[in-house]
Amino acid sequence: MTTFYRRFERHDHAAGLKGETTHYCPGCGHGLIHKMIADAVEALGVQDRTIAISPVGCGVFLHYYLDVGNSQASHGRAPAVAIGHKLANPDAVVVSYQGDGDLASIGLAEILQAAQLALPITVIFVNNAIYGMTGGQLAPTTIMGQKTATSPRGRDRGMGQPLRMSELIAQIDGQAFVERVALFDARQRKRAARAVEKALRLQVEGRAFSFVEVLAECPTHLGLTPVEAERWVKEQMVPVFPLGVKKDLGADAAPPFEWPTPSFDPGRVLAALGGPAAAPERFCDGFPRTAFGDDVGLKLAGAGGDGAQTAALLLTKAAIQEGFDATHIPSYGPESRGGTSYADVRIAAEEVLSPAAPHPHVLVAFNAPSLARFGPEVAPGATVIYDSTVVPAPASLGPAAAVIGVPCTAIARELGQPMVKNVVAVGAVLGATGLFPAATLQRALRQALHARPALLPVNEAALARGIEAAGRRPAGGTPTPDR
Amino acid sequence: MTRAAASARPALRPELCKGCNRCVDTCAQGCISPGGEVDPLTGLVPIDLSLDACTGCGLCVEACPEPWGLRFDDGAPPPAAAAAPRDLPGEQLPLPGGGALVLKGAHASAIGALLAGCRHFFGYPITPSTEGAELMARVLPGLGGHFVQAVSEVAAVNMIYGCGGAGLPAMTFTSSPGFSLMLEGISYLIGAEVPGVFVDVMRAGPGLGNIGPEQSDIKLLCRGLGHGNTRAIVLAPATPQEMLDFTLLAFRLAFAYRSPVMIAADGYLGQMTGRVHLPGALVRPGLPAWAVHGDAAHRPNLISSIHLAEVDLEAHNERLQAKYARMIDAEQRADLYRCEDAELLLVAANTPARMAKGAIRALRDEGIAAGLFRPQTLWPFPVRALRPLLERTAALLVVEASDGQLEDELRLALSHAGAGAGIPIHHVRRMGGVLPSQREIVAGARAALAGRARA
Ligand code: SF4
Repeated sequence: MTTFYRRFERHDHAAGLKGETTHYCPGCGHGLIHKMIADAVEALGVQDRTIAISPVGCGVFLHYYLDVGNSQASHGRAPAVAIGHKLANPDAVVVSYQGDGDLASIGLAEILQAAQLALPITVIFVNNAIYGMTGGQLAPTTIMGQKTATSPRGRDRGMGQPLRMSELIAQIDGQAFVERVALFDARQRKRAARAVEKALRLQVEGRAFSFVEVLAECPTHLGLTPVEAERWVKEQMVPVFPLGVKKDLGADAAPPFEWPTPSFDPGRVLAALGGPAAAPERFCDGFPRTAFGDDVGLKLAGAGGDGAQTAALLLTKAAIQEGFDATHIPSYGPESRGGTSYADVRIAAEEVLSPAAPHPHVLVAFNAPSLARFGPEVAPGATVIYDSTVVPAPASLGPAAAVIGVPCTAIARELGQPMVKNVVAVGAVLGATGLFPAATLQRALRQALHARPALLPVNEAALARGIEAAGRRPAGGTPTPDR
Repeated sequence: MTRAAASARPALRPELCKGCNRCVDTCAQGCISPGGEVDPLTGLVPIDLSLDACTGCGLCVEACPEPWGLRFDDGAPPPAAAAAPRDLPGEQLPLPGGGALVLKGAHASAIGALLAGCRHFFGYPITPSTEGAELMARVLPGLGGHFVQAVSEVAAVNMIYGCGGAGLPAMTFTSSPGFSLMLEGISYLIGAEVPGVFVDVMRAGPGLGNIGPEQSDIKLLCRGLGHGNTRAIVLAPATPQEMLDFTLLAFRLAFAYRSPVMIAADGYLGQMTGRVHLPGALVRPGLPAWAVHGDAAHRPNLISSIHLAEVDLEAHNERLQAKYARMIDAEQRADLYRCEDAELLLVAANTPARMAKGAIRALRDEGIAAGLFRPQTLWPFPVRALRPLLERTAALLVVEASDGQLEDELRLALSHAGAGAGIPIHHVRRMGGVLPSQREIVAGARAALAGRARA
């Protein structure tokens, strides 16, 4: 029996008899199940590969006993811990060992997900119809009428019916083996041992999720002798929790799970991230000499589908490729309820300090609410561009130096692609401010559309039309609607 | 072995028998009977064995719940002690250089994790952290990794516990309500000394709150990592570049200290797109000696936070305290901006620190000597870098998107260090998903200095 530690050093430093006996009460079913696991591990020759996950409950000290890799989980989470171990090393044989409070109450979500994922791990579920460790309280599997510390008059209707976990697990789709066994006589013990071994074998072969529910005796909290407790399980529990295989849809024949091999190859990693970025050519001759200094703030605002965010990202990418620092923050804040989605862009020679642009140097407004909301907030000397197809000419915008109406929507319609009105607007920003040469944005467009090259010509045309439309505007403080 | 040669007979050391009598009726030959005498060593009554008629069927052995109770002595020698496992070091693999990438903060963090050798992601979708998880879901399968969408944050943190316990780098992206759910598991990670990286893209609370940015979890991150005496390094990035760099760093620290490491990001930072340079190398992770990996070398290991005896648990706590002390000593990080001559020191982290930087420029234009002290580790608070600045400081101004959670860290750190006495601490705070604006910070700064003039 080499799968047990010869001395249980972890059991209170193995002082005295604790080095060779379990902490379990006399006649407790846990010890029998430990032995079945140990035997199965040994029969399958997987002691080195096995990891036992101890639960919270009387089985919490499983790691005192089983000479395998051991991991101790928090209450109910052993299946999640088991999944972590299994995916870390699919070669490991991972056994989640859990009681009824652990698995069928606090850990319901975790066990159901483990069954749903149906990864080849093994769950041994010890159902003794009571909370042992905490002193005999009501379990989700306590049977009707059974008296416990928290059902002193017996389980009644108001406490719900006992949960049949094996049946619950068995009805979940996926490759799984589910069996309920018991320990109350020699025949049942042989069956139980076979089920445990099969469950582990299916995992070793990588075929299926395996779940074995064991009806076990807790003589202490039943207030019975161990032999009486065996009889109680047979007579009281078995009618509620029928024994047998609940699911075995050819688990033996299921194809083994295929596990990927993790790659750390730098080339592969870079390719997965979209390829290494080549140091790009620069079209700008130094930081743009606009009227806005070395830290330019832009705000692009419109309704959800106006493409303000895409336009903002284009400008951000273009700036970074020119070797400047730039940021983009989208905002779908409370304003979005009024139909406004806005983006703040900052472009700085060295470092963007604040990424927000509450008082932008350049405002692009795709609709009237955006212009009304942000127009009065622009920085002195700002350039304001609005879509004059849909926004009436504003009366006055106070400190703004240039208020330019560009018929973004109309131009996009003319080009046969209403979606590109945001690119028209980007072109207008270039035309009105001289922020970047056209080539900078043409490259950004090419990159953005590399997967949809058919859209490139219309976008390039939109950019050119925007530059032209805004470039024709005279600089000055008077609103000059296009039509 | 339960079964043995037919000739073998069960044996029992009476002091290892608890007298449960489960074996008694299994013996068809009647070899076993309930005992009549109390064993002086155990105070229990072991069975009586008389094996004259024993056929060696083994049913009694199968009925005995004790591993070293009734058994066949198989004569096998005790297993040889396994060789102590050794650390398998990780490896740095060079990456070709290139131009800057343009990345969202959340994506930059995910890429940092991939470059740190993380191939295991466990998480539950929650806005505004989902972009990071989505990138991992897209990329991990192609790199032979695993992306698991857990049933909840509670399950996710425990999957990290399993994967980290197996010795591999694992991580999650979450946001405040999800982070709250993970705290129990984080306490277990700290207690069992399991590495793992948690990126908390903080959003506004309490309760469901909203998805706007807030620095709402500073108190949880610095003071409330679940139950028990828990501490972990909390990194606070302020740019997409730092999202990448700090995530890489977080994995290194997590394994160096055998501890979870937290990354406190805010909702803006997760969404913010900016310039990001990749590092010169990526990491192929090693395998630490302590891992429970499911192989021969690591079989003797245990991942656990249970220490039943008070003396053992206290000793474990003392070990953890010593580890925290090493972190406090070695891991304080701060970024100083125009602090050389600052008489007004702004203290801010994450995105509010960038608003503060913008404000400092405006204040300097007005002739106010303001500087920014930006903690890059919220815990340990970088008080060592702050101290020398205090000699010139007339006032501190804490700028944050919370009800004073950062200020509390500052005050605690100053108080523990016995520093900063007499320097007034002012604040500019916003809550509910709103960040302090540059204008508010400038106004707060003027007010702070005006207060001093009056004092
Ligand atoms: S309380 Fe019950 S389950 Fe726990 S060890 Fe005792 S008999 Fe076993």
